[in-house]
Amino acid sequence: MNSLTIRGLRVEYGGCAVLSNVDEALVAGEWLCLIGPNGAGKSSLLRALAGLVNFSGDVQLGGRPLGALSNRQLARQVAFVPQEPELPADMSVTDYVMLGRNPYISTFGRESAQDRQIVADLIDELSLSVYARRLLGTLSGGERQRVVIARALAQEAPVLLLDEPTSALDLGHQQHALELVDQLRRSRNLIVVSAMHDLTLAGLYSDRLLLLHQGVGVARGTARQVLRSETLAEFYGVSARVIHEDDGTVVVVPQRSNGEY
Amino acid sequence: MKFSRLVGIAGLFLLAASLVACSESSGESVATDTTNAVAAETTIVEGFPVTVGDLTLESKPQRIISMSATATEMLFAIGAGDRVIAVDNFSNFPEETASLEKLDAYQPNVEAISELDPDLVIISYDPGNLVEQLTTLSVPVFTAGAVADLAGAYEQIEQLGALTGQLAEAVQVSSTMRSEIDAIAASITKADPPLTYFYELDPTPYTVTSNTFIGGVMAVLGLANIADGVEEGNDYPQLSAEVIMEKDPDIIFLADTKCCAQSAETVAARDGWAGLTAVTSGSIVALDDDIASRWGPRLVDLVRTVAEAITSVLAKS
Amino acid sequence: MTTPTVFAASRGSRAIWWVLGAVSVVVVGLLGLTLGPAGPTWWRVPLAVLDRLPLVSIDSGVTDAQWNIVWQIRAPRVVLAALVGAMLSLAGASYQGVFRNPLVDPYLLGVAAGAGLGATVAFAVNRDATATWPIDPVPLAAFVGGVIAVALTYTIGTAFGRSRSATTLVLAGVAVTSLATAVQTFVLQRNNDVVRQVYSWILGRLTSATWGDVRLVLPYIAVSAVILLMYRRVIDVMRVGDDEARTLGVNVNLVRIVVVLAATLGTSAAVAVSGLIGFVGIIVPHAVRLLMGSSNRIVLPLSMFVGAAFLIAADIPGRILTSPSETPIGIVTAFFGAPFFLFLLRMREVRQ
Repeated sequence: MNSLTIRGLRVEYGGCAVLSNVDEALVAGEWLCLIGPNGAGKSSLLRALAGLVNFSGDVQLGGRPLGALSNRQLARQVAFVPQEPELPADMSVTDYVMLGRNPYISTFGRESAQDRQIVADLIDELSLSVYARRLLGTLSGGERQRVVIARALAQEAPVLLLDEPTSALDLGHQQHALELVDQLRRSRNLIVVSAMHDLTLAGLYSDRLLLLHQGVGVARGTARQVLRSETLAEFYGVSARVIHEDDGTVVVVPQRSNGEY
Repeated sequence: MKFSRLVGIAGLFLLAASLVACSESSGESVATDTTNAVAAETTIVEGFPVTVGDLTLESKPQRIISMSATATEMLFAIGAGDRVIAVDNFSNFPEETASLEKLDAYQPNVEAISELDPDLVIISYDPGNLVEQLTTLSVPVFTAGAVADLAGAYEQIEQLGALTGQLAEAVQVSSTMRSEIDAIAASITKADPPLTYFYELDPTPYTVTSNTFIGGVMAVLGLANIADGVEEGNDYPQLSAEVIMEKDPDIIFLADTKCCAQSAETVAARDGWAGLTAVTSGSIVALDDDIASRWGPRLVDLVRTVAEAITSVLAKS
Repeated sequence: MTTPTVFAASRGSRAIWWVLGAVSVVVVGLLGLTLGPAGPTWWRVPLAVLDRLPLVSIDSGVTDAQWNIVWQIRAPRVVLAALVGAMLSLAGASYQGVFRNPLVDPYLLGVAAGAGLGATVAFAVNRDATATWPIDPVPLAAFVGGVIAVALTYTIGTAFGRSRSATTLVLAGVAVTSLATAVQTFVLQRNNDVVRQVYSWILGRLTSATWGDVRLVLPYIAVSAVILLMYRRVIDVMRVGDDEARTLGVNVNLVRIVVVLAATLGTSAAVAVSGLIGFVGIIVPHAVRLLMGSSNRIVLPLSMFVGAAFLIAADIPGRILTSPSETPIGIVTAFFGAPFFLFLLRMREVRQ
């Protein structure tokens, strides 16, 4: 069973600490959602785990330190879906998803029949069969999101990182995308770490939340525990009403202050 | 007459005769003895096969191509002009060249050259592999490069004479050149301190130092170049107008009369130049661009023009 | 680049382009051997070529002297044009891949300016001292100059902290190019008499091609081409940008260095013998992309074929139209370049 443990994670940009003393522990199948205002360090945390920025501290996956892995090895362990993925307009869907197999193809080699099978299966599973040979530039927002997730899954990594996966999508597609991720993490036992702006959705889909403020984790726990109006007022500076539904959903509703400023 | 005197005269006669006979049978023409620039390997003899430098010709060439304006002038002067079938597009003297086919010396088309089926090609500049390519096609090539001094020019005429089977005529031409130039040089009064000159290659103005061929000729005629020592290591410096003003040369030679339409009037009209001694005393000499840039038989005309300028300047002062 | 089609071409229809590419090189090559201002009548040449094949004997009516023209003068030109055209196109396509910009050319990081400076210095000092050398110093100096310039660009580009982005490299290349050009101009000022030779070299020419030149560049171009082709799948992965490529397991900085070095090696060698032939490195990969899409797996090798055929073809008018003079090949490619870019401009306007 894979587990992701983070101890004392610290990220610095030009002498300034954008993340300090972050501790977390995740097991396979768990979904942690990072929330917090802009500049809190959510993206930095994800990028550190993805190997895109240098960090100090101890991060281990299944007992092996992530920092010691090469690019290729890390790519087999951690799949990263950025906020605005680059989708070359005239690349086909199949070729794009095949990029996810890169960590398994030798530098000067070609993809194998097995690689092609894995990609074909993924395309089926994510209902992209119709688009298999379509060029990326002709797809809509929702389809593009599925394609990027397919690419990430092709890496067959136990950890899936998502940076603002829903910000470019309409309501319907947001739901579809998150449902898809949820379904996949259960069927494949993935560890999912996502950063999200929408607090309600964050609470709805993830198992736990981590609220970051100025690079430090200031609240952690379930949606009920973290999403409280005092907490939100303190760290987001927002005036909001928190509603607890019967089925356990926590809904955050921003409030108009009645003409008083 | 006393018998002893007869014997003495006969003996002297015999000595003289044997000396003459010896020098004749060595096969070396008189002219080559005085050209001490001749390299040891070049044996300039009459008749074929002949070897000049790296090139050996088996028989007298009948289809000659000249890719050098200077070589063209030399060829016609030594009597090989009737066998010249093509020249380069700068060859404009003598008149007979007007009707000849023109080739490009800087971007030569090797195939076109070989199609003319020449048995001797003379170039002064290899733009890249031309000699190698022509040699591959078994076309004899001779490089008559730019010479460093007058001696080199005389030698080159004789080399061309040997290659074209016109050696006697070539020797004649070069020795006539030499004696005329020597005579003109001797007839000039060498001033002390020497007269100074500025030699203009183009209006920007680019000039030459005494280290060049034309500079060397001027030095032989007793002139001092104002551009010497101005820019170390550069024999074709671009002088600033200030330097020229400061040095105030006695004579200004214009070698850009044809290319760039310069004349005594245009020079006088330049800002600040009107005050120069050479301008006010009318000592601006307009040279023919072509004559000034070639080292062929018309050198004599150039030397004569320069000498006249020197004489007239000395007369004024 | 906007998409010309909705679907990617299937594997089968792609195969035909390889065949077309190879065939076009052979056909144009034969044309290059056949056409010229001198030599045997045109239809005799293919016969003479066939005659030279083992086991084949045809009376082509071509004399030895004429065959010499075909084999010693034209053939090295055609082969060199093919090598240089293929190399410049491949280098251009590779640079466009690792810098993710379809408008960069193989001279981007200072190769052209460095090679030009090297050649200028060689011409300036190539007097009596070096005239007796067994090798021509100009190509050697051009090659060394090109490599040094790119090395300098890389050193400068990576010296400024962690920002090892493509943009930094390009800027460093601009700086090195300016410096090299300035020094070159200075050297020319001091050595006025070689201006003509340098100018002629810069325009690019295949006129003086000999088999010796071919032997000289072949190893460099071969090594360079093999390395670049080996990396073409990885260059494709880099199409999603540096960050994403890293998360997919690509060592982006290493790949970029290797591609730049390999491309520089081949380009410098090509420039050393043929001068600065422009436009080939941009036009050819672009044209291939327009037809076949932007997948570098296809664009890189196909660009080699098309580039070879293109340059062989471009060399032909230069030696025929202005005979008995030659038009430098750089002028011919420029003539193609201008309308091509206008065409590109128009296409963009139409799309938008």
